[in-house]
Amino acid sequence: MVMASSSFIYVTYIRAPRQKVWDALTKPEFQKQYWFGGHQESTWKIGAEWKMVMPKNGLTDSGEILEIDPPNRVVIKWRNEFRPNLKEEGYSRCVYELVTEGELTKLTISHTIEKENAQFIQAVSGGWPRILSSLKSLLETGEANPDTRA
Amino acid sequence: MVGNSFVYVTYIYTTPQKVWDAITKPEFARRYWLHYNVSDWKVGSRWEHQNGDDSGKIMIDGTVLESAPPRRLVITWTRPDHSKEPSRVTFDIADYNSGLVCLTVTHDQLEHDEAMAASISGGWPKVLSNLKSLLETGKTENIWLAKGKEG
Repeated sequence: MVMASSSFIYVTYIRAPRQKVWDALTKPEFQKQYWFGGHQESTWKIGAEWKMVMPKNGLTDSGEILEIDPPNRVVIKWRNEFRPNLKEEGYSRCVYELVTEGELTKLTISHTIEKENAQFIQAVSGGWPRILSSLKSLLETGEANPDTRA
Repeated sequence: MVGNSFVYVTYIYTTPQKVWDAITKPEFARRYWLHYNVSDWKVGSRWEHQNGDDSGKIMIDGTVLESAPPRRLVITWTRPDHSKEPSRVTFDIADYNSGLVCLTVTHDQLEHDEAMAASISGGWPKVLSNLKSLLETGKTENIWLAKGKEG
């Protein structure tokens, strides 16, 4: 059976060790530099709660860690809590995968929801390229892109 | 890849002119793509994507469909043996806020060439990541060395 779904996939190559990219994705002090000032709260263990907190809007997204294998892979059950039309679409599934390729880390973000033409996926499709471009700049130059700082 | 088009957006701390030059100047393209892009970039002109190893081997060729430096370039993307219908690549280079450039690469009309669709989906993230690194840090990698090859 084929389920109707929407997905966004983005691949970026970052000149940094896999552990460094992992830390940047999971530690609040890094996240705040490239995620519009926001950060995530979780113990990053299977079954743990996961929350996204933004400076102005407070809790914007929440969910749970479904799978985790540091510094290689994490699967997050992820729902928007802050825009009613997105919250209504329910939980998405977001997978981060990190692979070392020479001096680079290949980072793949796959964000999927079991709904056709989901507004949630449309929303994250705009956000991910900005966040991941800024993450790459932060790790390669020491400075996040100006538009994604707090 | 959505339907038959691949779209990749990246934000680069640079100027539109530098992005344009990086795409259209052969020696500049070679630094991060490891291939030359050769043309006079006028509408109707031929362009060639040549191997940067100086064999001069043509890997892809096509025609310039639109050219508005430094904002927009549209080209056809054809296998040199013309064994399949050409696909199309659009580069949109836009000013974003805070001194950033938003580069959007759209590769579409891939209906007739599934192998090419698979190959470019792997290739564009490598090429465009390396372009961003070059413009922001001056450093690049041999992106075709680690795994696979295409572009």
